[in-house]
Amino acid sequence: MLLYSILFPIISILAILWFFYRYLKEKQSLITVILWTILWLFVIVFSIFPTFSEKFASLFGITRGLDFIIIVVFLVLFYIIFRLYNRIDILQDEINKIVKEVSLNNEITLDDEEDE
Amino acid sequence: MSFEISKEDKKATYVILPAYNEATRIQPVIEEIACKGYNMVIVNDGSSDNTLDVIKQSKKRYPDQIHIFSLMINRGVGVATQTGFDAVFRFNPKYVVSMDSDGQHSADDLDNVIAPLVKGEAQAVIGVRPLKDMPLSRNFANAVMNFLTKMFYRVDVSDSQTGFRAITVEALREIDINARGYLISSEFIREVNDNKIPFAEVPIQTIYTPETQAKGTNVFEAFKILVQMIKHQF
Repeated sequence: MLLYSILFPIISILAILWFFYRYLKEKQSLITVILWTILWLFVIVFSIFPTFSEKFASLFGITRGLDFIIIVVFLVLFYIIFRLYNRIDILQDEINKIVKEVSLNNEITLDDEEDE
Repeated sequence: MSFEISKEDKKATYVILPAYNEATRIQPVIEEIACKGYNMVIVNDGSSDNTLDVIKQSKKRYPDQIHIFSLMINRGVGVATQTGFDAVFRFNPKYVVSMDSDGQHSADDLDNVIAPLVKGEAQAVIGVRPLKDMPLSRNFANAVMNFLTKMFYRVDVSDSQTGFRAITVEALREIDINARGYLISSEFIREVNDNKIPFAEVPIQTIYTPETQAKGTNVFEAFKILVQMIKHQF
């Protein structure tokens, strides 16, 4: 048995447990946990039975199993970047709103300086 | 002969000056505008130098003409100008102008930019910088931005990236500005056009120095604006 076929399943199980822990702490939605669990289960299956990835790859017209895994990893990473970009964008808008509100409620007068 | 703006109209005009790290440049700009009898809403955009102190010094000299707001952190020219647009309503203006605070624009152009609003010829005005005065790199970036503004926002203007703009308070109520950075220039034009607000272009002079060139729409900013324009399509 190769090292990766032991290491990857362990990492995957830890990742699944971590996602469920976050779900129990209400930091993650159920759908996110399910999607990530499916992904990590695939990692487990592909690590223990590498030939399995070839069968999946052939479903999509890809000959090598490894190519299929690399493409899936790329797609997942792009999705994560997209999600993060969106989240940052929303946060930026919220920060702008707060900063604007605080500024509008605190017009600077010369009295402020005298108070200091 | 140029059109004379009455004292009343000047009093009813508020100039918004977004300022980020302009401690060495903003004072003459403020004082020139104040001397001409215009009011100002100056928004310090979280400057890390002593811009705010310089503005306060000017307010001591012109306490009734200057209103200061300060963003606690730097959020970009778009947010600073939006803050100015929001704040200005409490002073019951008739006309609102926004211009750069780095000395790139001349206060002498204020009368010309407001004139079409006062005469009722337009409800929004953009100050157009002469292409011949523009450095080559800026000229190229501007041409690209004009093309993108035409493509994405379907508005054909001579200078889509100008920071010198004027609008009546009624028209200002109709437009909705959300841009954070330099996209505000194109967004202002888009909003004016989408809301069918009659607008005019007025030639203005531009004073280019190495400092003023360091800011504004360069190629990197143009790319950021392009990304935001694409995003706004969805």
